[in-house]
Amino acid sequence: MAAAHKVVVKKAELSWLDRLYVVSVAKGMGITFAHFLKQIATPTRKRYTIQYPDMKKEMPKGYRGLHELKRFEDGAIKCVACFMCQEACPARCISIEAEEFSELTYTQGFEEKRPAKFKIDMLRCIYCGMCEEACPKDAIWLRNDYELAAYDRLSMAFGKWDLINTYADQDGKATLTAETESPTTPRRTVAL
Amino acid sequence: MDTLAHLLHLSPATAWIVVKVLLAFGIPMALGPILTWGERRGSAMIQDRIGPNRVALFGKIRIMGLLQPLADGLKFFFKEDLRPAGANKVLFWLAPALAFIPAMLGLAVIPLGRDFVSGGETFHFSLLDPGNGMGMLLPMAVGAMAVYGVLVAAWSSNNKWSILGGMRASAQMVSYEIGLGLAVLAIFMATGGYDPHQIVAEQAKGWFIWRQPLGFFVFFVCMFAEANRLPFDFAEGESEIVSGFHTEYGSMKFGLMGLTEYVHIIGASALIVTLYLGGWRLPMMADQTQLPVLLTFAVFLAKLIAVSFVFIWVRWTLPRFRYDQLMNLGWKKLLPISMANLLVIAYLMKGR
Repeated sequence: MAAAHKVVVKKAELSWLDRLYVVSVAKGMGITFAHFLKQIATPTRKRYTIQYPDMKKEMPKGYRGLHELKRFEDGAIKCVACFMCQEACPARCISIEAEEFSELTYTQGFEEKRPAKFKIDMLRCIYCGMCEEACPKDAIWLRNDYELAAYDRLSMAFGKWDLINTYADQDGKATLTAETESPTTPRRTVAL
Repeated sequence: MDTLAHLLHLSPATAWIVVKVLLAFGIPMALGPILTWGERRGSAMIQDRIGPNRVALFGKIRIMGLLQPLADGLKFFFKEDLRPAGANKVLFWLAPALAFIPAMLGLAVIPLGRDFVSGGETFHFSLLDPGNGMGMLLPMAVGAMAVYGVLVAAWSSNNKWSILGGMRASAQMVSYEIGLGLAVLAIFMATGGYDPHQIVAEQAKGWFIWRQPLGFFVFFVCMFAEANRLPFDFAEGESEIVSGFHTEYGSMKFGLMGLTEYVHIIGASALIVTLYLGGWRLPMMADQTQLPVLLTFAVFLAKLIAVSFVFIWVRWTLPRFRYDQLMNLGWKKLLPISMANLLVIAYLMKGR
């Protein structure tokens, strides 16, 4: 054991000027008044406080929020139901059901797959972004949307159509609702 | 004046009394709630926050949240009015009134503007005309009464925190009363009388803040203690004794207690303005007896609000004193300073 060091804590001695209080009080009042003036002169949008429902925070670029399933220009889903994201997901919140959907599968040996069901349980999701990294087709992205709240558990289970198009910002794409029919014509047919 | 009296079918003197009563009660009643809003917004600005700004009339007219006190008051009325078991019922109900009424009375003798002559009669701009024999003694005496409200509220609540707060408040008020009295005494000496009209008239020669800066300092500090404001809010002391003397109060009784604090600020500000800041006088003007009456009233109001802001400003700058520091300051510093001030003023007046 090392020799115990004796630590002498000295009480800070105040000078007579400090003990008068007046100078330090004046200094403090000056500081608070400077803050007062500064805050009054600052327009609302430049203040630190974000008045939430009226103003929203601009999220940084790498922010991981709500998922989006990306689509091609013709509206066909990019996902090929390879299950990579489901495997990569540490929270096990993604569940996919695949389906074959093209004539070409049978006639010319193409393997055309797409998700029949693509469910993410947002209550389990930890927004780690592993699915985004695992995806070979860049089909699943994490967006900036962060307003993820609901009144019941069921509405936090996002299905395929929710993931495709329930966002405030639509990137200029046509909105597909749950009632819209699934695009049946395969992408390659259209492209050809 | 005559047109007003004619409209009300009253003699000018009676109409003037009505106007004065309305002013003397209306100013604290109107300014008190506005001050609560000012306190919250002002503190927000000092701390780089925004403060209450969302209350809107009919969901539209927002005016920077100025209607917040209205909403607060409305809310207080809908809260459960609770009386703790074992509380002294009569005193518990009486205490908010005992706190509120003395706070309101202080403004009665303060001249709110210039005296004026209308139709051969002189009208004085204060609720009680000069020469009533009380003068400046009334606000002093009534201000000292305010401690009863605090103490009765604390005692009747049957709560240990309350009684601690009440005891601390009463001890504090008693120790600051003396320094306060001596500071005011110096003014009475310099004026040669204790009527506020006389004191304001005397300040034509120079405001007392310049003639007796030491006295002003002592009076100002003591006024904080009298109004139970930070840094001397020992009656409440949230971090130590929950909420002090109004721990057990709820509903509109609590609202009244809260309003009392702000009415006290207005009363204290009015005293400071009258005694040291020249009352309704504009600075650096020799003959002010011909100024428009409403202008003098506006000047008084502007000074009142400015001093009230200083009360708010100080609260959000300084931390609370420790209790022994408070007693130390009151008895060992302010009292000697005040005494020295009195003696020096007396010595300087000797030759006259």
